[in-house]
Amino acid sequence: MENKNFQVVGQITPRKDGVARVTGQEKYTVDTTLPRMLYGRTVCSPYAHARIKSVDTSAAEAMGAVVLTFKDIPPIRYNERIITVEWALHKDHYILADKVRRMGEPVVAVAAETEELAEKAARAVKVEYEPLPVLIDPREAMKPGAAPLYDTVMYGDKEIKIENNIACTREVIEGDVDKAFAESDVFVEGTFKTHKIYHAQMEPKSVLCRPEPDGGITVWATTQSIHNTRIVLGQIFDIPLSKINVKRMAVGGTFGSSIQMNSVVPIGVALALKARRPVRLTLTREEDMHDHGRFGTDAHIKIGAKKDGTLTGVEMEMIADLGAHIIQGYSFLGVSIGWVVSLYRLPNVRYKGVGVYTNKAPGCAMQGYGNPQATLAVESLLDELAEKLGMDPLELRLKNYVGLGMTFWGQGPMVRSIVWSDGVPELLGKGQELIGWDKRESPDTKSGRFRRGIGLGRGFHTTSAGAPQPGDVIDFSGALVKVNQDGSVDVVTAMVDHGGGTWEAIAKLVAETLCVPLDKVNVVPSDTFSTVYDVCTHATRGTYAGGGAAVKVAEQVKKEIFETAAHYMNVQPDALKLRMDHEQGQAVIYVPSIPDRKMTLKQLASRTWSESWKTIAAVDSYRPTNCPPAYVTIFLEIEVDTWTGTVRTLRTALGVDCGTVVNPDGAIGQLEGGLSRGLGMALYEDNEWNDQGQLLSKGYWVDAKTPGIMETPALQDLNTHFADTYEPTGPLGAKGIGEAALNPVPAAYANAIYNAIGIRFYELPITPEKILGALMEQENMVKEGVH
Amino acid sequence: MKPQMITLHINGRTHYVALNPNQTLLVALRDLGYTDVKCGCEKGDCGACAVFLNGVAVNSCLVLAGQADEGEILTAAGLGTSEHPHPLQTAFSDAGAIQCGYCTPGMIVSAKALLDHKPHPTDTEIRDAISGNLCRCTGYAQIIQAVQSAAEKMDAGGEG
Repeated sequence: MENKNFQVVGQITPRKDGVARVTGQEKYTVDTTLPRMLYGRTVCSPYAHARIKSVDTSAAEAMGAVVLTFKDIPPIRYNERIITVEWALHKDHYILADKVRRMGEPVVAVAAETEELAEKAARAVKVEYEPLPVLIDPREAMKPGAAPLYDTVMYGDKEIKIENNIACTREVIEGDVDKAFAESDVFVEGTFKTHKIYHAQMEPKSVLCRPEPDGGITVWATTQSIHNTRIVLGQIFDIPLSKINVKRMAVGGTFGSSIQMNSVVPIGVALALKARRPVRLTLTREEDMHDHGRFGTDAHIKIGAKKDGTLTGVEMEMIADLGAHIIQGYSFLGVSIGWVVSLYRLPNVRYKGVGVYTNKAPGCAMQGYGNPQATLAVESLLDELAEKLGMDPLELRLKNYVGLGMTFWGQGPMVRSIVWSDGVPELLGKGQELIGWDKRESPDTKSGRFRRGIGLGRGFHTTSAGAPQPGDVIDFSGALVKVNQDGSVDVVTAMVDHGGGTWEAIAKLVAETLCVPLDKVNVVPSDTFSTVYDVCTHATRGTYAGGGAAVKVAEQVKKEIFETAAHYMNVQPDALKLRMDHEQGQAVIYVPSIPDRKMTLKQLASRTWSESWKTIAAVDSYRPTNCPPAYVTIFLEIEVDTWTGTVRTLRTALGVDCGTVVNPDGAIGQLEGGLSRGLGMALYEDNEWNDQGQLLSKGYWVDAKTPGIMETPALQDLNTHFADTYEPTGPLGAKGIGEAALNPVPAAYANAIYNAIGIRFYELPITPEKILGALMEQENMVKEGVH
Repeated sequence: MKPQMITLHINGRTHYVALNPNQTLLVALRDLGYTDVKCGCEKGDCGACAVFLNGVAVNSCLVLAGQADEGEILTAAGLGTSEHPHPLQTAFSDAGAIQCGYCTPGMIVSAKALLDHKPHPTDTEIRDAISGNLCRCTGYAQIIQAVQSAAEKMDAGGEG
């Protein structure tokens, strides 16, 4: 089972797509053009909540633009994210707005010969609006009498009424919380708030659509799932999937922002179908900021414990700010409690989650999908509990964490599996040593302008949403692997690489399995026509599930190699072995006991070709039956400037248990990138709306406070480390990293800030203003003698 | 608004183009097929569209194409080829400094602008030079390492 003598996996190798990316030759959707292509633009609402009274497109049409209004689109409500199964899917979205529910919502779309003409035509469209009361705060939106965003939405194929702007609720009860709390000695609780922040992926979301002569369409789109994009387009436009081809593109980062079919995609398709010409439509940065964001959360959480630190149960109530559309609110409510109970053993659970519509950007997946929010709450409360009990926070965590052999259900109540690999003690031990945890002093020993603090955030993410049974989340991948006539190998997969190196990992896993040198294994360009289904690159599943599929199929190819070679070599297939021969640059098939009985994969493939026999190839699907936790521990030392309220990151120890490390330099990049995005979430980023639903950043990226290079700690103080584990259910022992790298970061900052100044923050971001305000309050309390 | 004829010398090739006076250099370059010049924000926030104009690194979204008339423009694609990449390009590829790669061409232009004047930059100088370029993926550490490593290689090899 466990074999760590890898030849390719775990090696630092020049990235296959590296040259294309550094020389600017990589093509993203927004770089793609076609002959006779038209440029699309949308007419976006300047109001956050309004009825559309009239639309006059005559001036735009007089300019020669193709114009699309609500009357021209299929009268179908859809949910752009179909990772959730049909029976749990709310649908409230039309291609163009029937009524405006957020700033920047597309009301009309145009296409014209040049980008400039398209812009002019869009501006020439006259829309008369009747503004409605704007709801920014979910608590206000839930009040009886608040202006409704929707009267009804679709749930599966049923139309359901929406009351008090509550889109969905979810309750989970396990064990007996009342009894558990009655038997508890100590409690910690708090209300934790996080805001809608912006994904800030570098590539603007784009689509290019070409109508085909047979009534079909070819679509180039920014997306994390080509197959789900195709399925939703088929449903909306009633085109057989056999006539819809979605191309898999390089993606300029997503962080969850393209988990769904993006809002521009069906608009671009509808424009192209109407124009009978190719159309490209790209969001401006400002439109993109209005298009999606992280879910805002407001969660009250209470945890009980025994005197010895054993946790007894949890009670949690959460309001999720869904924004103007429900993209994946129901699943979000499910995973939010899943993250909590999979961090620590909490056998008794009472949870209620409510998803509320507001006139803001729709919430969609953003790295961690509720996990950083949940981890902030749990890890803050665990530190409080440790202080109450007089225990070392590390010891409390080790005592209660969900580890080896335990049940784990991060991805919602229906996705449960067993933990088979667990590097938590190793990660905590190493981090403890690197950061100097044992020299950590309590906040009351600190004074002066600059106060230092050490904090710990521990977390995880599920690697895929695999489980033994089907649930409300679809999770499977597929791959086609074929041996070419020269012994090189093509891997054909629908899995998208957001940039983290998923394709590189898949290539390495196949190279390792087939003993073919890495430069001869290629993850080839693909599309929905040439691939079997893959659900989506999300849930930290790229390497585990996409790589899992590739390894499963490569094993089948290996079997076929042996069976075919056995004929030529006149031996039993089971007697054959493969090894990588770097001198010949080939996989060599050999019989260990008969030294001269061997042939290269090139010789084999070349003969099967020239003798008109066959291609050695296999294709299959792969459903993970587990969703193993990728564990991460983040130790930080920070410094708070008590005069300015700013927080500087001094030292870090970032550790991950991702099983076998497939791309070491990529894995380090995941941890460091997670720190940067987590730092932004913890300290600065807040895509704020005013009470009229206008974005305060006005579409300016720096005003949304995306972290820059100055926030990165000094390189010598930025420590990263890996646990030495092997995941038995993963491809060659691998799990994921992605989201796990960010999840505990905001919690680590909150705990480090507490350790520096003795003030606990329950709301993100912990801005200098908040820190200064709290310090002043602390000082006043001291002056007034309040303790 | 009437188009005006302008001349752009891009990566050693000369283009004669008719453009409206309000056209940005970014759009002009991308329309000519130089899609290695990335469009991130069109507001000067992200640096993805950085190019050299007459030897100076600029955000091409903040320059009108007319201002670049008769100018020498060098983009990331003009710095090296697949066979002979610039040492910075090799270093970015080797040091894990690229993930999605969308910010990379702009980053490399900013880094080259630094190394042109400071062949032995300090950590602070590298950060200053890159501070106008946003990267959401990497957390920047491997980018700093790539610039350091390229500087060392260029120094040793006398390149650049």
